[in-house]
Amino acid sequence: MAALADLSRYDRHVERIAVWRNRSRRMRYATYFIITVLIAWSIEAIVVGDTDWSRISWASMLKSASQFMSVDLSIVGSLMEPALETALMATLGTLVGLVLAVPVAWLGAMNISPLGRATYTLGRGLMTLSRSVHEVVWALIFVAAVGLGALAGVLAMGIRSIGFISKTVAEAIEDVNPGPVEAMRAVGASRFQILLFGIVPQVVPVFIGNVIFEWDVNIRRSTIMGLVGAGGLGLALHRQMAAYNYGGIATVLLVILLLIVAGEIISYYARRAVI
Amino acid sequence: MPAILEVQDLRVSYTAGREVLKGINFTVDADDFLAIIGPSGSGKSTLIRCVNRLVEPSGGQILFEGRDLLKLGESKMRAERRNIGMIFQEFNLIERLSVIDNVLTGRLGYTGTWRSLFRAFSKDDIRNAVRLLDRVGLIEHLDKRADQLSGGQRQRVGIARALIQNPKMLLVDEPTSSLDPKIAREVMTLIREIAREFNVPVLCNIHDVDLALEFCSRVIGLQEGTKRFDGPPSEIDKHVLADIYSMEVL
Repeated sequence: MAALADLSRYDRHVERIAVWRNRSRRMRYATYFIITVLIAWSIEAIVVGDTDWSRISWASMLKSASQFMSVDLSIVGSLMEPALETALMATLGTLVGLVLAVPVAWLGAMNISPLGRATYTLGRGLMTLSRSVHEVVWALIFVAAVGLGALAGVLAMGIRSIGFISKTVAEAIEDVNPGPVEAMRAVGASRFQILLFGIVPQVVPVFIGNVIFEWDVNIRRSTIMGLVGAGGLGLALHRQMAAYNYGGIATVLLVILLLIVAGEIISYYARRAVI
Repeated sequence: MPAILEVQDLRVSYTAGREVLKGINFTVDADDFLAIIGPSGSGKSTLIRCVNRLVEPSGGQILFEGRDLLKLGESKMRAERRNIGMIFQEFNLIERLSVIDNVLTGRLGYTGTWRSLFRAFSKDDIRNAVRLLDRVGLIEHLDKRADQLSGGQRQRVGIARALIQNPKMLLVDEPTSSLDPKIAREVMTLIREIAREFNVPVLCNIHDVDLALEFCSRVIGLQEGTKRFDGPPSEIDKHVLADIYSMEVL
């Protein structure tokens, strides 16, 4: 009987928890309902109302598909130079990004940020700025700043690359094994020397791995830079689209696909070689 | 023998109001091999880290060759750290660097920023590093990466790194806890030998009482941040141990 009496002491908690469960279940169903209504409303507003349904038929779909099927090989020769430019833009953009990411990562890693909270916030802010603006928007900004051409594309991808590289590296820095840092302090190393020997060797694999990954992504990005006049295959794509040459568009897309596959293969082996 | 290190009323509290060290006094003489023993959490590690200020004390004095380390600014303190070698429990090597580069990091305190950027250590330093690695028996492993070595070998690298500083004192933090008993004994023997060869006093914290009694010339017993014993190993009997560890030692 004593045991029963003891257990009853918990009733208060059991009651509270049970009531909360019931309430949360009701909340959950209400949430499902609201989400369903929102989805239905979005479809109605942006798809049902905004689409020209009279243009869509099986015939029209087959027709566009067949237009893309007739790949126009006559332009392949003229695509080689832009393809090379695309690959070089991605590479240079990644190099710009990796150089600029180093100081940003330094600012944005809480444990080594030079002036504590202030510089940490600055570093994290720069990362967010870099990542939150789309690469095409960066390209538009740089086209306005330095004019049409590959330079704008290189700068756009460079700035866009800072965010990812510096964020992952900053997080790796925050996670380093503190042992070597302590040892470097103990030998009388300066702050810079502690960074160089206590931290850098530990984060180099993360840094290189993510730079290779970012290069792979930049190959993809650089294929569309031309759409806003920032060089590469995108410009060729834009020309074919303007001429309604569906076969040509298909050819450009195939070249882009090949380039991306090549980039992926290279980065796979580069990663294996380094790490 | 003049005291090389004199610690007076040393106090440390990590959180306000809770002292980890409650006013410790002791001296290290130039020919001492001083062991600090005590149960886990008694403040051994904290005490040793206060000497080179890896842990910031909240009060007291640490006189190293007569200079109060607690009064020094950052750059002066760094210059003093060059004179104090440290050997760590987990070795604290830089895993991805080679053995020789790990030893050379012991010279960072004497190496300029640009030179350290390119790991351009002076020829003398490199020669010295090789000599020390030979002394600790690792001459064949110079170019290996530190993470390819066994535990005992890593600790030898750590010892060489401390020696290349030309230290006037060695701080040794649980040098054997990550090692098996046989290797632990070898490492302690090596530390004792080099202490004599290089004529440096050693301040060593160690939880293995038998090793402390065998290798050290003096022992300090800590319990809950206070000193309970200070004397030669010959004065330690089971009553002393019972007091330090506040338990019956059989």
